[in-house]
Formats: sequence, structure tokens, C-alpha cells
Amino acid sequence: MDAVRIHGAVATKVKAMESKLLSNDDYLNLLRMKSITECAQYLKEKTGYGRVLADVDVDTVHRGALEGHIKKNIIYNIDKIIHYYSGSYKEFINTFFAKYEIDDLKDLAREVYKKGKIENYEDNVFIGKYSKAEPSKILAAKSVGDIIVALKDTVFEKYTSHLLDDNRRENLFRFEMALDMAYYSILQREWGKLSPEDQETIRYVYGTIGDVLNIQWIYRGKKFYNIEPEILLNYTIKLYNRLNFKKIKELCYEGSLSQFLDKARQTYYDFLFKNDETIDIYMDRRMHRYLYYYLQKIDQYTKMNLINVVAYILFLEFEARDIISIIEIIRYDVPEDEGKKYLIKNIH
Amino acid sequence: MAVEKMKTVGIVGRIADMDRICRSIVLNGSMHMLNALSEINSNYFKISASEENIEAIEESSHIRPYNASKDFGKDEQIIKSLNDIFDFQPSIDAGSIGIDYDYAQLINAMKEEYDAVKELWDEIEKKNKLVEEKKNYIKNLSYMKNVDMDIGQLLNLKYLKLRLFVISRESYGRLKGNYENIPSLVLKVAATDDNIIVMSVAPQCFDDEIERLFTSLNYQELKLPVGYSGTAQEIIEKLTGEIKNILNEIKGLKEQVQKHRGDISPAIKKAYSVLMLEKKVEIVKREAAMGKKLFFLFGYVPKSKVKRLQKELWDYFGSRIILVIDDAPVKEMAKSPPTKFKNNWIIRPFEALIRMYGLPSYDEVDPTIFFGLSYMLLFGAMFGDLGQGFVILLAGLYLTYRKKSASFGGVLSRLGGSSMVFGLLYGSVFGNEHVIPALFIRPMANINTMLILAIGLGVILMTISFLYSLINNWKRRNIEEGIFGREGLVGFLFFLTLIFTAANSYLKLADIPLSVLISIMAVLLLLNVFKEPISNLIKGSNRLYKEKITDYYTEAGFGVVETLLSFLSNTISFIRVGAFALNHAGLYLAFETMAEMINSGFGGALVLVLGNIIIIGLEGLIVFIQGLRLEYYELFSKYYSGNGVEYTPIRLNS
Repeated sequence: MDAVRIHGAVATKVKAMESKLLSNDDYLNLLRMKSITECAQYLKEKTGYGRVLADVDVDTVHRGALEGHIKKNIIYNIDKIIHYYSGSYKEFINTFFAKYEIDDLKDLAREVYKKGKIENYEDNVFIGKYSKAEPSKILAAKSVGDIIVALKDTVFEKYTSHLLDDNRRENLFRFEMALDMAYYSILQREWGKLSPEDQETIRYVYGTIGDVLNIQWIYRGKKFYNIEPEILLNYTIKLYNRLNFKKIKELCYEGSLSQFLDKARQTYYDFLFKNDETIDIYMDRRMHRYLYYYLQKIDQYTKMNLINVVAYILFLEFEARDIISIIEIIRYDVPEDEGKKYLIKNIH
Repeated sequence: MAVEKMKTVGIVGRIADMDRICRSIVLNGSMHMLNALSEINSNYFKISASEENIEAIEESSHIRPYNASKDFGKDEQIIKSLNDIFDFQPSIDAGSIGIDYDYAQLINAMKEEYDAVKELWDEIEKKNKLVEEKKNYIKNLSYMKNVDMDIGQLLNLKYLKLRLFVISRESYGRLKGNYENIPSLVLKVAATDDNIIVMSVAPQCFDDEIERLFTSLNYQELKLPVGYSGTAQEIIEKLTGEIKNILNEIKGLKEQVQKHRGDISPAIKKAYSVLMLEKKVEIVKREAAMGKKLFFLFGYVPKSKVKRLQKELWDYFGSRIILVIDDAPVKEMAKSPPTKFKNNWIIRPFEALIRMYGLPSYDEVDPTIFFGLSYMLLFGAMFGDLGQGFVILLAGLYLTYRKKSASFGGVLSRLGGSSMVFGLLYGSVFGNEHVIPALFIRPMANINTMLILAIGLGVILMTISFLYSLINNWKRRNIEEGIFGREGLVGFLFFLTLIFTAANSYLKLADIPLSVLISIMAVLLLLNVFKEPISNLIKGSNRLYKEKITDYYTEAGFGVVETLLSFLSNTISFIRVGAFALNHAGLYLAFETMAEMINSGFGGALVLVLGNIIIIGLEGLIVFIQGLRLEYYELFSKYYSGNGVEYTPIRLNS
């Protein structure tokens, strides 16, 4: 009964909103577009993105700005959902903004680290959305340190301020990692306040997300950065489903890459490591596509649960990623059939 | 008692005089600035064509915005530091500064003063930092109080390195899960709410690895002092002694600084006032329009203040300035004139409640007097009690004089007074109806009379609202709404007929057949339906409808239903005034009964006191809100738009 009270109205709303997600045909049409302008025009006139693109001049819009508008669609839809919730549920939905804002902050930190200033920020539309930080302050940063200072008096301060007094080296990597850890700690804090039924499904789903992220992290850490096992382990996310701490630790301490791959191919997530040559190209896509269909299944079989809303928001996120991929596919003239392989959604 | 009349004032002066003219305006403090550029472009600003105005007219067609903004950040910083150093409260002294000062010179003098004390002050700051650092060491060491060994020795080892880290509980969990692979001794020494403090001792050669490892655990290092020996407790004691010495030194230095204090006080005060004035001047300038040699400023000034402004400007600048003063026209300007309340002290506090809804626009009658009086009446009628009213009165006075909340305190004390008057009329003291006689009526004994009187009061108040609405529409020369509108003459007549019909069927006042009354109302409603075409015919405009005809009549049709419903419901809504008067007595009755049920004198008295507190707090609040609702919804919707802009003149102290 309680679940109906909490989720009844929003479940209906979300079902209606799901119907506005792009269809298979939309994807095909978009893939056949010849330019970014055509693509923007199609999104504006034929899809649910019309609202966020209403004031955009499709003839002059460039890639970064268009990506920003596409991400704004996520904000628009999450804001709509948030109205249906109160208290701890509202806070939990808000953590999505924490996640997106952290992605943007990391993006900007990378930019300022490379260039000493921030020039391109049109697609970083989430800045301040969760933390309530003043975007202009962050955009004025001349170093990663400045960003940390600009985050003073926000929820992120607690997780990042200690990076400042330690001036041994201003470290982009540390900042990124601290923010990622901040997200998972905020996430876990917030879901602790949900009803037991919702917590159970949320923990389960995020456990799976944690699994794929962890195994991907260990693989990349070993292959590209040669990170020591202790440190690999410390940076793993404490969200487990099929791969618990013990298994993750074993994977971290595998001596060589090939030993790791042998071991990883014995896990449930062997599909990520199919065919040595394509591992790196498709890893992200494989991971997201797996989660996409995994969530669809769960969404279908679970009723009156927070996971329905979470799934929808993640679908929105995947869709935004796909559109951004399509824009790149168009820009770099990738043939349609080849392009499809980079999309999260399986287009046929 | 209305909205104060405004004049428009245009000022044309030479750019060379600009600073001084702007200073006079700020010091005068009565001008509500408008953007001169947009006013000149809107063609309202006209200068009469005479010989002395030729230059101004010529330049007014080649204007650009003022855009040389000054940055006062550094100057402000200097004055703030001086105020901090000498421990002055920054205060503005408008009287002494005048307009003929050299800003740069004043600030330079301040810079010199600042440089003179800066060295001493830096020394103090440095020592303060040292104290902070040592305090920090003490805090960090205090985590190690339970480690019973010579920390000093550990800190000075050649081949091993001791470090103290704070990590989150979660990170600590990870660390524990992987102890066997870490090249360091790790000891948990203390814990706080979220964090664990660990001590790590590792060979120097592993220090980089330790650093990386703890980095991955998101650590924060706690610094420990070098060069001390003994246990944590012993080192803390040593540090405390050192802090004491440094504090003494700081005290000595501060005394040296303070020797300058007496001489510099007036200068700082003046510099501070000047700085504040210059900042305001900058705001004035931003609204200016610049020509080649002349500049233009534009604003509203209340009628009563124009003379003084005019005199001041003429005294200073004489013929070098052109003033264009005119009555504020409502429609031609780019922005309508601002509103300044002008009310006597009895009803002034109620302005705050009006403000909450919206300020009266310039062409609207100020509703404060009607609002204030009717609100007092409504509150008193609903919450009539001599004793409880007195408590509210006291609370209001307390807020006004102790908490300096003049508006809310003022409202409360007036409502309390009104409640006391009605307490006398109802014969009620702290709920008790046996102590004093009722001068007018006892609500509980005359329930029906109370309810009918309440509706009667509502009819009277609504009638007054209609009159206000008629005046407002007259002022705007709005035929459509003023004559045919629902809140206009037609609506008013309809309302009166409706009330009369209802009263007549009950009281048999006059022998008019019901059919006649209904036909009158029908005609009035039809007039209301056709208000737009009729008024357009009268005005002779050649377009009868602004929108599509079907749309208009659909809307008008529903309008009729709404008119009927809302007039009825608005009137009946006032029944709550009677109901709350009853409720008030009833609530007390409940507490009285409870008090009697407790068979002890003291317990009974306690219940009565408690009851009174609840009645004042809870019912007082409800009645406050219900009264406000009647005002805002039932009455304001009839006559008040509240679209005004507040009069905010540029002045030094604000």
C-alpha cells in the first residue's frame, strides 16, 4: 500500500515520459542525416527534444552547444519527476544531478589542467545543479585548485577541501577520484533512507553497475596505467553484486594482464572481454548495452518500485550518450552500419 | 493618505560637473533613478526649445550609455583593513563631506596611513598564524594521547617515518581488508563521527608508496611538530607555553599600533563616508546618458521634495545645469512612476501587509486605510476578548520597541487593541463571560444574529470595495471594465440587486415582484457579456473584438457563471467572521469544562491558563490568516491590482 502511495502517480507519469524516448526509427533517421544542422532540425521538429531546442537556431548551432541542449533535456525531465516526490525520495533522485555534475566538474578540471583556463563549457550544463555552487566562479578557475576553492560551502567541500592544503602536487587524478568517491558515498547515504523494498532493488541494480565499473577499472588500470594492486583495489567502488570484495581483490592481484583476462573471462561478465582485438573499442558500449537491456528487463518485471524511475533516468542518460555518438558518427562520416555498433541501443 | 504624487526630473549638466552633480543627488536622497537612455529614446524627455537649451537638444540625439565603471575593490580593502586594525565600527557621516572633495587624494592619504602601520600589522598577522599552527599541532597531537611512548623520538627517526592520517570509515574498511599487502605499520589511534585517525610508521624508502596508497584512500594528513621530545601530552604542554609567549608579544605589538588610533579616527570616518558616496555615485552614473560635452540624468522625485532638490542643484551649479521638471504622466513613460506610501501612524504598519500582496500602482488608490480599518474590524470581531487582546497588544509593543520590528509589531498591537474593544462589546475577559457585562451582544447566546451580522458586514465591505474599484477605473478612464465590467458599475448594480433580492425574500422590505428583479439582473448580466463590443462602439473604435468572436463569447458565457457563483460565495464567505467569534467562545468553553472536571483548584487554573495560551497562539494565528484571506481574496480581487513599483531613491544611508 505504501509503495502505491509513494510511486503510484510517478509510475504513470514515467510510463508516459518513456513513450517520448526516441524510437528505433528515430535512430535510423538520425543516422542518415548528413550534417549536425539536419540532425538538430530533426530532433527539434520530430522528437521530444523540441522543447529544449525551441529557442535554438539549428543552422548555427555547433556540436558543444547542441550536446549541452541534449543534456538539458535530462535536467528538464528529472525536474519533472522530482515534483512527484518528497523527502528522502526527492533527495535520492537528486543524486543523479550529483553524478552528472561530478562528470561535468571532472570535465572542466581536465580542461583547466590542460589549458590553464576554461574555454569550452557549453555542454557542462549540470554545474551547480546539485551542489548549488556558483557556476561563474567555477568557470573562472585557472587551476584545479581554484575549482576546489569554488566548491567551498557546498556539499562537495567535505570531499575535496583536503586536497588543497596538501600542496605537494596539484593532482587532477586525485580530484577526479575524490569526486567519484564523493558520489558513491552520497548515493549510499541517500538510499539508506528509502523503504526496504526500494533499497533492495536499488542495491541490487547498483551492485551490477558497480561490478561492471570495477572490472572495467581494474582492466584499464592494469593495461594502460600499470597501477599497483593495492591502489587499484582502493579505488574500486564498494558496490558488489556478482563480484564481491574477495573476487575483486583477487582480480586486482592477478600478476599479468593475460592472467587477469583469463580470470575475468571466467566471471559472469566475460562478454566484456570477447575477442582480444575489440575489447578496448567496444568496452564502454558493451558495458552500457548490457546495463540497458538488463534494466529493461528489471523495469518490466518490477512494479511500483523506485527502480522504474531510476531505469527511466538511466535510459534518458543512455539516449543522450547515443545522440552524442550519432553526432560524432555524422561528423566523422562513419558509415551507418559501422556507426550502429557504437550505439548503446541495438538498432536494426 | 494615498500614494504620493511624483514629478519627473531631468537633469542636463556638463560632463566636467558630473561627479559633483551625482554627489549632490545622492546626498539629497530623493531621486528614484530611471535609465536616461531609454527615457530619451522613448521620446518622453523633451527640452523646451530656447536658446540656452540648444546645445542640450543637439546632443540629445547623439547619446550613448555611460560605461566607464570604476572598481572600488582595492580602496575598500584599504579602508576595511584600517577599520579592522584600529577596531573602528565603520560609520557614515554624511554631514561633513560635502561634494567638493578630491577622492583620489583622500584615498591616497589612507594608503599612507595604511603603509605606516602595515609592517607592525603584518608582524601581528604572522604571529597569529604561528599561534594557529601550534594550536593545530596540539589538536593533532591530542589524538595521540593514548599512545604511551616518546612521540618526539619517533618523529625524529632517521630510517622510519611517522605520519598521521585522517581517512573516512569506509576507507579504513578497505585498508583493513588489505592489511597484508601494505608496507607500513598502521595503528588506529582515534575515531571521530565519520573518520578514523590512523598512525602509520614505515621505512623512509617506502614513503612515496605510502603517499600513493593513502592518496587512493582519500587521506588528509595531520601535521606533527618536529624537534620536540616526550609523549604527546608533554609536547602539548610545551606548545601551550609557547603559544602563551607569542600571545604576549602580539599584545605588545597591538599596543604600539593603537598609539596611532586617536589621530586617525576622523580621517578614516571621512574616507569611509566618501567611499560609500562614490559607490552610490557610480550607480547613478550607470543610469546616465552621455553626449559629447553634456550628460543626461532622469528620475522621479516626490512632489514634496522637488523644491529642495531644485534649490540645492541651483545653489551649486547655477546656470551650468538645466533642470526639466514635469508632472509624472502615467502612460507616456517607458516605466510608470514608483509608488511611495503616505499614511498616518495608525494604519502605517498595515503597509507591510499590502506590500506582501503587491504595491499599489501609481494610478491606483492606496488601499491601506480601508485595508487597515477593515482588517482591525474583522480581527476584532473574530477574536473579541479584552484580556487576550491585551496580551496581543503587549506582544505587539514588545516587538515594536524591543525587537525593532515596527511593521509586524505595529500590526499586532493594533489588532490587539481592536480585539480589546470587541472584548468589551462581547463581555469577554480571557474567555470568561461572567466578569464584565456585554455592551453589545454575547455571541454564544445569539448564534443566528452573529452569523447574519457577519454577512451584513461582508456586504458593507464589499460595497466599499466596489466603490474603490469604480474610482480606480475612473482614474484609468477604463470604460469597458469601469462601466460594464464585473467589478465595475454593472457588476456593482448586479451585486446590489442580488443582495436586495435575497434580503427582500426574507424580510419583505418592499413589494417588488421577483420577476422584475430577475429581469434587472438578466439585463445587467447581458451588458456584462457584451462589454467589449459596447465599449468599443462608445469609443468609436472600428474593431469590436480583440480576439476571435467565438472565443470571446465562450469566455464571456463562463464569465456569467463565475460572476453568479463568486458574488454569492464571496458574500457567504464572510459568515466565517461570525463563526470564528462563536468558535472563540466555544473553544474556551471546552477548556472551562476540562478545568471543572479536574477537581483541584490549582489543576483547574493550570488548564485555564494553558487553554488561554493555546487560544491566543493557535486561534489567534488562524484568525489572523482568515482575516487576511478575506482581505486578499474577497476584497482585493474586486478592486486592487497591486502592480506598483516601490519608490527607492538613491541615497547614502540605505
